[in-house]
Amino acid sequence: MTTLDVVRGTAARVADAVKIYGVGGTEVRALDHVTVEFPAGRFTAIMGPSGSGKSTLMHCAAGLDTLTAGSAWIGETELGPLNDRRLTLLRRERIGFVFQAFNLVPTLTVRENITLPLDLAGVAPDQAWLEALISIIGLGDRLRHRPSELSGGQQQRVAVARALAGRPQVVFADEPTGNLDSRTGGEVLGLLRRAVDEMGQAVVMVTHDPTAAGHADEVLFLADGRLVDRMERPSAGLVLDRMKAFERGRS
Amino acid sequence: MTSAPVTARLSLRSLRAHRRRLAGTLLSILLGVSFLTGTMVLGDTLRANFDTLFADANAGTDVVVRSADVLDSAGTVGGVRAPVAAALADRLRTIPGVAAAEPSVQGAGQLVGSDGKPIGGQGPPTLAGNWLTDSRLNPYRLAEGRAPGAPGEVVVNRGAARTGGLHLGSTTVLRTPDPVPVTVVGIATFGASADGMGPSTFTAMTFDDAERHLTPRGAGQAGSIQVRAAGGVSQRELVARISPQLPSGVQAITGAEATRESTQLLSGRFLSMFTTLLLVFAGIALLVATFTIHNTFAIVVAQRTRENALLRALGAGRGQVLGATLAEALAVGLLASLGGLLGGIGVATGLKALFSALGFALPTGGMVISAAAVLMPLLVGTLVAVGSALLPAVRAGRTAPLAALRDTGVDRAAEGRSGTVRTVLGGLLVAGGVPVAVLGATDGPSVVLTAGGALAVLAGTVVLGPVAAAFAVRTLGAPLPRLRGVSGVLARRNAARNPRRTAATASALMIGVAVVTLFTVFGASIKATLDDTVSKSFAGDLAVTTSSFGAGGSGISPKVADTLAALPEVRQTVGLGRGVARIDGHGRTLDVTDPARLSGIVDLGRVDGSLDALGTDGLAVSRSEAQQRGWRLGQSVTVGFTDGASGPFTIRALYEGGGLAGDYLITRQAWAPHRGQDADTMVAVGLREGVPLSAGKAAVAKALAPFSNPQVQDRAEYAKSAASGVDMMLSVVYALLALAVLIALLGIANTLTLAVHERTRELGLLRAVGQTRAQLRGMVRWESVLVAAFGTVGGLGLGAFLGWALVRASDSAGTGSFAIPPGQLAVVLAAGLLAGAVAGLRPAGRAARLDVLRAIAAE
Ligand SMILES: Nc1ncnc2c1ncn2[C@@H]1O[C@H](COP(=O)(O)OP(=O)(O)OP(=O)(O)O)[C@@H](O)[C@H]1O
Ligand SMILES: [Mg+2]
Repeated sequence: MTTLDVVRGTAARVADAVKIYGVGGTEVRALDHVTVEFPAGRFTAIMGPSGSGKSTLMHCAAGLDTLTAGSAWIGETELGPLNDRRLTLLRRERIGFVFQAFNLVPTLTVRENITLPLDLAGVAPDQAWLEALISIIGLGDRLRHRPSELSGGQQQRVAVARALAGRPQVVFADEPTGNLDSRTGGEVLGLLRRAVDEMGQAVVMVTHDPTAAGHADEVLFLADGRLVDRMERPSAGLVLDRMKAFERGRS
Repeated sequence: MTSAPVTARLSLRSLRAHRRRLAGTLLSILLGVSFLTGTMVLGDTLRANFDTLFADANAGTDVVVRSADVLDSAGTVGGVRAPVAAALADRLRTIPGVAAAEPSVQGAGQLVGSDGKPIGGQGPPTLAGNWLTDSRLNPYRLAEGRAPGAPGEVVVNRGAARTGGLHLGSTTVLRTPDPVPVTVVGIATFGASADGMGPSTFTAMTFDDAERHLTPRGAGQAGSIQVRAAGGVSQRELVARISPQLPSGVQAITGAEATRESTQLLSGRFLSMFTTLLLVFAGIALLVATFTIHNTFAIVVAQRTRENALLRALGAGRGQVLGATLAEALAVGLLASLGGLLGGIGVATGLKALFSALGFALPTGGMVISAAAVLMPLLVGTLVAVGSALLPAVRAGRTAPLAALRDTGVDRAAEGRSGTVRTVLGGLLVAGGVPVAVLGATDGPSVVLTAGGALAVLAGTVVLGPVAAAFAVRTLGAPLPRLRGVSGVLARRNAARNPRRTAATASALMIGVAVVTLFTVFGASIKATLDDTVSKSFAGDLAVTTSSFGAGGSGISPKVADTLAALPEVRQTVGLGRGVARIDGHGRTLDVTDPARLSGIVDLGRVDGSLDALGTDGLAVSRSEAQQRGWRLGQSVTVGFTDGASGPFTIRALYEGGGLAGDYLITRQAWAPHRGQDADTMVAVGLREGVPLSAGKAAVAKALAPFSNPQVQDRAEYAKSAASGVDMMLSVVYALLALAVLIALLGIANTLTLAVHERTRELGLLRAVGQTRAQLRGMVRWESVLVAAFGTVGGLGLGAFLGWALVRASDSAGTGSFAIPPGQLAVVLAAGLLAGAVAGLRPAGRAARLDVLRAIAAE
């Protein structure tokens, strides 16, 4: 039995999610009745054409944005009724983030950036866990450096370490390799994969890259704000074929 | 296409786009220019209003006959003139062309209000005189009641009547300084409608009363003779007719000249002092504004690096980019100056109303707005804006086209070589300025030298600011991480992030706080000196004084000293009066007293010669004055009195100066033949051995009741009240400096707002990973407090040093004290920090309101 089949509950989910931007003539339906679960211990990739609602889905699921209709949950907590303060506390305790770029606070050192959510919460980090993470990202000798002294790939690895430092319920990553070449991108994806495999972390990643999606356990396909397809145990080749099929279907 | 329209279009577009960012700049220029305009308009208006008022009031006076000799001395405004014989009026009336001639007697007389408190006396003069019966000669007009006709009847000016709650028929007391019971029979205006001659009070009585109470008995003296011409005779012509008939030493001038003299006295001395003072503070406010504006433009230009580089890459010349920035500054400067102009006129109107509300009767009349009062502030405001933007504009022009391609971090420290230049230049200025200031303070002493050194130190400190900023902010913020966790760490690092910006922001506050500190230290030192003077030279137990200061009040009756000496509780008393005389050609203030009665109450220090034998032809002189003028004991000097008499006096004693007594002592007997109104300024009382202070004080106070209660103070109270004028000056100065400090705080708020704007993504990231709004607000506020702390601490240090140097430098006698008031400076520090927190409120609120998603998405 692989970790894939281990069901340890749902880390995050959205039910019948609708997100509408603007009103009247300028109305954009970014999410159109989407229901999806992100199970614990599983690496989920979200794909789809530009403007299909991937980022919107992630932001709403992570409590960075609110849904127009439907509900979003982290574990057993529904996000809808939470005020800004409760949402903020939830983010720093139960969610990890990796963005496409500008992930690190420039005035903080590498180490301070990694422990930032814990420091904000005033919680002492688990030292053993921290050392393990640092050795995994391989930047043990750069801990006192500032982000501007790191390469793009190194910065993204630090961001992943920060996302994992507090052992959150789920890590959301929006195009974490979008600005990286394939080798450094591979390093970051490898790191996320290890987090899922070795730490049982739930990871949700938005990507445009079939190779990146190939690292996931499952790929969800979005188009025009709707969940149009899903693929278990994807590979880069299969994902590419599916995307081509979509292109043909659309034209 | 020519370059000008493109430049203009660019700057206008960017102005519109950065409205928010330039709001702080606009506001600081506007405030500074308002202050400047307000000062100038108020000055012009008061001057013009007073001119009209005097011209109107004196319109009926065609010739003034008075003594030609005027004796000037420090502390007598306009000098002192010898009296003329009142009987001269009778002779003048016989001259053809003279319609009326009346002697005018003027002296000091303070009315007591219906509540028993004296009216006025806190600065402006309290005058008394005779009521001129020729209504056209009299500058005062009856508003109610009638002219005084019998002994004890008086007319008072409307302002004084209102302040003192006096009405027709009220009976009260006029202190001349002997209390004179009077009944108010009339209330008068100065000219047609003014409540008084400026803020002064005037009590008019019959000529006989005036002569009895305001001049030495039986002398038949008057200050001047006022003459009105018959119809068809011009002022000049009448002067020509009168002049040959006058005794020697007496002159006739036209009424127009006399009016010009009195208005010049007012505008030349009082008003120009007043406006100069205000202008200095307007200057400080504008200097502070310069820093704020410079900083804003520096940040805006830095934030626009990419945009400018793109322009350069597309072919815009250096001059065009530079021009665009300068045009922007020009537009902001002009706009703000125009706003400030309007604001200033409002300020002047408001101030005038405020003065009136405070009972400071000012003449009525419209606002006078001269061309200079419009052009000057406009020019200054615009120049300040353009001048402050000059360096940033040059930097903008130098933007390399390649910068468009580079991802240039805006919000970071790029020092390098300029840092070295800065350190060396600032170091030289401070290293050069400090010794010069110290030299001026200790050796010499020379105010000019010290002021020069002080300016160099100030400039050096500003230049060194960026070098010191990072270190200072890190040191001052050391406790923050423990207090506020990671948000504290971030606040501290953000404040140290761009030292140049932090320093420029803090410099504005530093200058404001330095000036505040300077005055605080100066004031405290003056108080300490006064305290020292009292404790050193006042050996008595009680001091009898009037609560007035300046030209106001009427002093203490010379009978008080003898009355008190007769009390069983009292061992000894001595009165000190004040007079002026010309000594070897120089106008000097004398203390008129009984030198033999001084010992044991007023300590003159070591005395050479004898005080007991001054007689009617002897003087005692302070040692420092004697040294300065090269006099020795036993030498003879010529003393010229205000009545025109003069004669040789022998220096019979030398004493330690710098105490309660001034530089010259003369006996009452020597002074009496030449004096006008007789009054003491202070009576020192020594109690008998074993009499408790409280009992002695009560006895003295009781004995003083017939003299309409001058105040009785023990030594400590006396020292404190002597210093109360200093406190009043200080509060005025603080109020005037408030604007400069406000502008400095606007600068901090502005810089922070710009920084928050720059750090949008970073702030969004912090929020995304779990920083609460409260934590974020705290972070921005603490950064603000840190910058303010840097400015405040720097200002305190700088101000204390400059205060020390200036106190020492201005103390040529070497007898002054220097004091640092820790309590007051702690208040300044606390106020600075608190103000920093307040300045951070708005930027912090803005930062906290940022939409997390927008922030993350922001380019
Ligand atoms: N703040 C907003 N206001 C209005 N419309 C928005 C806003 N944010 C997103 N949209 C619209 O919602 C739709 C979904 O946007 P979303 O950012 O989720 O797309 P995406 O799938 O992440 O695209 P990409 O791959 O380009 O990042 C798009 O049509 C977009 O224009
Ligand atoms: Mg997206």
